[in-house]
Amino acid sequence: MSSCGNPATEEQALMPRRLKFGKSKDCVRCRLKPGNIVIRHAVYCKECFTPIVDMKFRKALEPSVNARAGTSKRPKLKASGNLCLAFSGGLGSSITLDIVHNTYFSSRPPLDDLGKPRGGTNHPRNVSVWPSCLVCYVEVCGAFAGMHDRTEDIRSVVERYPSFEFVPLRIEDAFDGSWWTKVSGSNITPQVWLELSKEGLITDGLHVASKVTDLTPVEAMRSYLSSLPTQTAISSALQNLTRVLILHTAHSRGSSHLLFGSSLTSISISLLSSISQGGGYAIREELQEEWAPVAASGSKPNNVLRVIRPLRDVTAKECAIYAWWNNISVVGRDKQRRAILGIAALTKNFVVGLEKDYPSTVSTIARTCEKLEPKDVPSGQCRLCKRPMQSAIQEWKDRISIRSYSDDKLAADLAHIPSPCRGNLDTRTPPQVPPLLALTDFLCYSCHTTLTSRSSRGVKQSAPGVSSATPLPIWVADRGLHEDGLIGDGTRRKIPKEEMLDIVANFLINDQELRGMRYLQRFL
Amino acid sequence: MAPTSCSLCRDAKAILKRPKTGQQICKNCFFFVFETEVHHTITESKLFKPGDRVAIGASGGKDSTVLAYVMKTLNERYNYGLDLFLLSIDEGITGYRDDSLETVKRNQQQYDMPLKILSYDELYGWTMDAIVEQIGKKNNCTFCGVFRRQALDRGAASLKVDHIVTGHNADDIAETVLMNIMRGDIARLGRCTSICTQGEDTIKRSKPFKYAYEKEIVMYAYFKKLDYFSTECIYSPDAYRGHARTFLKDLEAARPSAIIDIIHSGEAFEVKEEIKATQKAQQTCKRCGYMSSNDLCKACTLLEGLERGMANSVITDRARKKMDAIGPAPDNIRTIPLFRSTPTIAVELPSQS
Repeated sequence: MSSCGNPATEEQALMPRRLKFGKSKDCVRCRLKPGNIVIRHAVYCKECFTPIVDMKFRKALEPSVNARAGTSKRPKLKASGNLCLAFSGGLGSSITLDIVHNTYFSSRPPLDDLGKPRGGTNHPRNVSVWPSCLVCYVEVCGAFAGMHDRTEDIRSVVERYPSFEFVPLRIEDAFDGSWWTKVSGSNITPQVWLELSKEGLITDGLHVASKVTDLTPVEAMRSYLSSLPTQTAISSALQNLTRVLILHTAHSRGSSHLLFGSSLTSISISLLSSISQGGGYAIREELQEEWAPVAASGSKPNNVLRVIRPLRDVTAKECAIYAWWNNISVVGRDKQRRAILGIAALTKNFVVGLEKDYPSTVSTIARTCEKLEPKDVPSGQCRLCKRPMQSAIQEWKDRISIRSYSDDKLAADLAHIPSPCRGNLDTRTPPQVPPLLALTDFLCYSCHTTLTSRSSRGVKQSAPGVSSATPLPIWVADRGLHEDGLIGDGTRRKIPKEEMLDIVANFLINDQELRGMRYLQRFL
Repeated sequence: MAPTSCSLCRDAKAILKRPKTGQQICKNCFFFVFETEVHHTITESKLFKPGDRVAIGASGGKDSTVLAYVMKTLNERYNYGLDLFLLSIDEGITGYRDDSLETVKRNQQQYDMPLKILSYDELYGWTMDAIVEQIGKKNNCTFCGVFRRQALDRGAASLKVDHIVTGHNADDIAETVLMNIMRGDIARLGRCTSICTQGEDTIKRSKPFKYAYEKEIVMYAYFKKLDYFSTECIYSPDAYRGHARTFLKDLEAARPSAIIDIIHSGEAFEVKEEIKATQKAQQTCKRCGYMSSNDLCKACTLLEGLERGMANSVITDRARKKMDAIGPAPDNIRTIPLFRSTPTIAVELPSQS
């Protein structure tokens, strides 16, 4: 009988249903047992499935363990530093924690009576890939009112793995001088503040402002988040704060490798989301990156941190089955955080929905992006997200859209402006006033857009007593901002004397005053 | 509440909010910034030189109608020195293209430009109505897209033009970037954000509306009261592209800059050199002489499939090999005329009314 319930319907006339799996229901690996799971039209039994995921994990991780590739086909694995795991309590990071423990830490040889490994610590059998492993967790409850603090839940999960050290962090640490002192070793904890518009949002010019008031780290973080113009920006900012907190912590603890538990599905989502937010230049870093804080001299230090996503070939479905069959407990993420709308959430819904009709889309996105690289040499590291950035971001934005008639580039075109709009148009050269100091040149396209791109749904109304400036994460001022003039005495750039004289000269009435000014300059 | 004044001239009353910048501006400033931005796109990319013969791909829809109007305006305002033509392709879709071509014919009179219409029937011996009759609505966009590209080049060659400009806007380009990533089309991904493309032996193709939002094009057409045809194609749209379009609209609703952000991403990356080296070299089709990455170009392959009654089996390269395995194409099937860069076909000039 046909699916519509009419026995008279010809079977031939119905649309043939595509087989969910290949020709056989037996496991494609051992070919003995009946399959228990279908992964992209291939059937696997329970016994074969776990080693396959383990193998994919090792295949993604191990080529990056040794500092240098060497010539050996099967080199002995030895990392140059510690291992750091970024743990969110979600599915991917729970699996990563378990596989890393079982593969690299649980098989250590028994200790002798003195508590030392038998044969000595230098015996090849006793030399582990990484000397130690720390598990970093960033608690974000400070960002949302009424959100449950899950640090203790996470701690109880990590304590099941005795070889791992638990390092709890809080999202507000990004605005905490004491945390910065701990990870950077620097006692100077400057902070950059940005001017806010009357609506309480960061201004388009990203002008640096004077410090308004002393805020606690939680207040500073909430002020920062509330000054962002869209839900997309808030979601992106939280993701960046979490990432950079873990990067700095891992680096300060001598880690050579940092593992994120992103599955193939979440990597594809974050790639598409990043591209949709203008992050195409850092597409390589979304997959794998080598990171180090840029030193004050501008050069990169030797101890580079390799950021790896070893579940990059394992889909979310495979992760879920792996966790279920291996009894891995998953704390899960807070629903409140998940509920943030914006480009990241839209992309997730889109990719997961598309996967039903076009099952290979998830892996296609990741494979396609693996074949891409940035076009130009980076002009530096973005102050906010600590990823490579392109030069001339603002110039590109100015080139594609006209936002003001005072732009020099428009001078020749203004002759064609319709006459009704010429009334208030001041085509004279604007007076030379000191330019406001801005952060624009220190940010990548994506971060610049995060801070400035507004929603189409109108701007929010400012709350009574809203501040006129907001602090930025503490690492924005980690190096060179003194030299770049963004901070110094107070928070304003100290203008060079000659430059100041030129500016002032425009407002002076006669040469005598100018000469007097030049005389005074000697004593400045 | 007092009316908001224009953010640009600070004089007139703002009547619209620009989707691209979020600024509230007056109508005249909108016309000025829209046209000037297109002018900057053209001049900064050095798209044309004085004396160039430029064909505007005209479908009668909003994008190509606004493009024809703006190109004519800028050509006169800034003395580009271009000879402008309208070039239309008649796909043979009854109740859709025949109506939109009437709009193009009116545009020809309104803008005083020569018009050339080239039909699929004339070039391939098949109309889209006949193709859909054979293959159904599924995948018909593949045939239409491949045939149109080649038809535009052939039409342009007949007009002896140096350049074709099309009305692809920022939304179209952002959508194509997403599509190419999702379907793994690395070759197209590498070139889809280029403002100007030129294949070997073919005419340059440019997209002066590369940074113009679709919503602004609609606003421009509306406020200028331009005469355009606004019906969607009656044959089902490409389902996959439909998904990408819906997604892009959602992104734009969440943050309007998403469209331009995707284009910036597309411009910021490129295909790795080692991957480029593995891509097929460009050659010419052995049957019709058009550019191709295989022995036969896609249009000849699709046409052969139609002629042999196996049209559904030639959508993919694998299916093409399957068809080849059955046997060579019979000698008596219809083929596309040999492509020459400068053939001569009569051009319809605007009547003096």
